[in-house]
Amino acid sequence: MEHVAQFEALILPHLDAAYTLARYLLRDEHDAQDVVQDAALRAFKHFAGFRGGDARAWFLTIVRNCCLTAQRQRGRRRMDSLSEDHDAVAVEPRGADALAIERSDRAAIERAVAALPIEYREVIVLREVEGLSYAEISEVAGVPIGTVMSRLSRARQRLASALGRSVKEAG
Amino acid sequence: MTDTDMSCDDCRPMLEALVDDELAPEEAARVRTHVASCVECARTLESQKDLSRLLQDNLVHYDAPDVLKARIRSALSQSVESPQPNAAPPSRLRQRWIGLAAAGIAIAVASSATTLVVMRSTTTERTLASEVLTSHVRSLMPGHLVDVASNDQHNVKPWFNGKVALSPPVPRLDSLDFRLIGGRLDYVAGQAAAVVVYARRQHLIDVYAWPQPGSDVGASSRSSQGYNFVTWRSGDVEFWVVSDLNPRELSEFVGLYRGGVASR
Repeated sequence: MEHVAQFEALILPHLDAAYTLARYLLRDEHDAQDVVQDAALRAFKHFAGFRGGDARAWFLTIVRNCCLTAQRQRGRRRMDSLSEDHDAVAVEPRGADALAIERSDRAAIERAVAALPIEYREVIVLREVEGLSYAEISEVAGVPIGTVMSRLSRARQRLASALGRSVKEAG
Repeated sequence: MTDTDMSCDDCRPMLEALVDDELAPEEAARVRTHVASCVECARTLESQKDLSRLLQDNLVHYDAPDVLKARIRSALSQSVESPQPNAAPPSRLRQRWIGLAAAGIAIAVASSATTLVVMRSTTTERTLASEVLTSHVRSLMPGHLVDVASNDQHNVKPWFNGKVALSPPVPRLDSLDFRLIGGRLDYVAGQAAAVVVYARRQHLIDVYAWPQPGSDVGASSRSSQGYNFVTWRSGDVEFWVVSDLNPRELSEFVGLYRGGVASR
């Protein structure tokens, strides 16, 4: 029973983070709930294998993997491209005055993030919404830190151009 | 700071890491020194900061819904307490009791279930289900479960007098492993409802009852968001039972509750 208490104390505080990640990755409230529940039970099952360290990153790794599995199962119809292809949502160039409007337009920002390919969206959400470090993102996404950095950089370039802002290509 | 000179090409890839606070202090110092004397890199740094701030200020950090939290807690306790779902009740003696009772109930439930396949699945019903569920989940928050806590029906039943326009049945079912926890008042379907609370193992069962004139409607069940419901109307009272208990044991409960009602 103290097993459960320990799990609840360590992992359940990160449910909001888990749900946020799932919301952004799956872009559906109900799917996100199902996947987070599934991930929590999986985490509980494998809790014995958790050897201390960063509980949030450990749990988010499971959530992230469950999201990708769910998305694959959900099929291609609601799924965005995993490749480097151009986004389904076309990005129109915007003039300077549109920029001012976009700046305050939360919906436009959400849309721009939603239009990112999933591997870019994931690093943006983990960094800008969840506030994870490169090392933590590397653990959650299962890629080297160098890849985290280059994905973040490309994701930001895309967002900047979608939002009509100029961010100079960095490198 | 002797060798702080850095080219733009060296600097640019480090600007994002600077914004993300990922540079070692000496690296950060070198980048800042370069930026202080380079208009181009300074501008890039500003727009990077700008974009980060824009995203951080506007992207929503969602709260996990209470229903999700309740579902997870319930699933966790279930997975600990019984490796198999629908585990038998604890005591052997009770098990025999249940066996006998279940046989009788099974017949009652089965016969009603066949006639009740047609559910009153209207929009109203869905709305009610979600109202009852919201109310049930709210009651799971600390301090909201019961207004009168008692395992004695003679305390619970009179407590409702004068508080709500009906006196809900409070049959005693603890010998059948459904413990009476207490009662509370709630507000559902635009009116005050009496709620009688039972428990099996750690699963709480809320029985909502409120006055609803109309002909009797037999029991029907549904499930939503991990919770199971059974609803019926009898004697101008609408009953809704909601719980995270599995459907089989919940219909067993309903059979007993209604049997208890009938025999009173």
